[in-house]
Amino acid sequence: MNWKLYKNELIVALALLLMLSGFFYKNTQISSGTQEMLSTKHAVREFRELVSLQKTWSNKNMSKKVDKLEKIVPPSKVKWSKKGKKLTAVYKDLDPKELNKLITTILSMAVQIQELKINRNNSSYDVEFKYKW
Amino acid sequence: MSFLGNSKELLLAYSGMKEQSLSHSVNIMLTPQFYTLKKEELPLKYLYQAKNIASSLFDGFLEDAHKYDYLVYKEENEWIFIAYDLEAISNFLISKGIKPEQVGKIFFAQQASSSFTAPVLLGEREALVSLDNTVVIIPKIALDEKSEAVVFDDSFTPKTGVTPQGAHSSLLSQKQTIGLAAFFMLFAFMFFVEGWRYSHDTQATQEEMQMLLDEHPSLQSQYTRESIAAKYKTIDKNERKKREIVKTLAGMIFKGVKVGSFSLNEKAFQVEFICSDAKVAKRLIQLAKKSEFNSAKIMTGNVVHIEEKL
Repeated sequence: MNWKLYKNELIVALALLLMLSGFFYKNTQISSGTQEMLSTKHAVREFRELVSLQKTWSNKNMSKKVDKLEKIVPPSKVKWSKKGKKLTAVYKDLDPKELNKLITTILSMAVQIQELKINRNNSSYDVEFKYKW
Repeated sequence: MSFLGNSKELLLAYSGMKEQSLSHSVNIMLTPQFYTLKKEELPLKYLYQAKNIASSLFDGFLEDAHKYDYLVYKEENEWIFIAYDLEAISNFLISKGIKPEQVGKIFFAQQASSSFTAPVLLGEREALVSLDNTVVIIPKIALDEKSEAVVFDDSFTPKTGVTPQGAHSSLLSQKQTIGLAAFFMLFAFMFFVEGWRYSHDTQATQEEMQMLLDEHPSLQSQYTRESIAAKYKTIDKNERKKREIVKTLAGMIFKGVKVGSFSLNEKAFQVEFICSDAKVAKRLIQLAKKSEFNSAKIMTGNVVHIEEKL
């Protein structure tokens, strides 16, 4: 048999074989890799979310940040009690502007509000809150 | 089966040759009976330029009824042009018992002109000789009596020859072969690249995960991660809800509405809005319902009371 008789067919067959190998290689990679990759990607996403949540709700600098709530109004209006990672504060006779500023600041902080009370007293407001971080 | 064409037996083909009975493939060397030769000194630098003008050089020399192919090469300062009819050659070889599939490569005697140092006998009447570097057939009687003929063997095989494409029953032409092979190779390349990309992506994601684990050694354990995630997700959800409620209630304050009291803890909240009149109170109730505070109700003295669980 003269191999040259079928040289062209042989070349095409080899190229076809190579293409089929590539196709099966790709499919194998997809079927074995996709499930694993999706699972790993999900784990990475969860991990990043966890790190972000931990950073937000367990901020080590929060103890210093909450101190500015004491200075937001004149000292005569504040009764301040901070123990460890817990804070209890009572504010008396706040005008609406001071109330707004206080509430906005509290809400912008990543702290766990345990209790928040606002009472109108004639034209002023009394505020009491407890929170931890 | 040899893949090296030049290692095959070289058979000299001439019109008066005997019928062959071959059991193996051979290379064929053709005498000038099967080709037309032209030598030209041309100011050409590249082979493709010479090939392009080959057919025009033979205008008027060849029979129009035949289809010719051309072999072109350079020898010292001259370009050698050989015109041949592959179909006629193939038919001749078949008539001599040489099947197309038994033909490896076809060479032309002119290509081996330097090997014809002595005459090669073609049967009893003719001889193949090289005169002025041109291989020609002459009558045997014209040979010098003193000159001794040499035996034609494989040593006459030139380096390059013609592969008889299309002379035998190949299903695909060279163009079709190149086209199909290129098409399949292109797809093969694309599939391999795509497969590699998937494999690489998986690896990159795993590396990213490992990097995160290295950065946060305290979160190595899956159980620890799940536990911490559950804790902080609950905190995040509850605290966002508390802030959202305060924001919504603040948005319900308009002209004629004042906050009387507000109380919020881990489980519930309640609020009392003091309204200037019943119309304002009614409008506030509508706003509360719109914000899905369905417990909103009007108390005595145009006070709107809302109490909901978190």
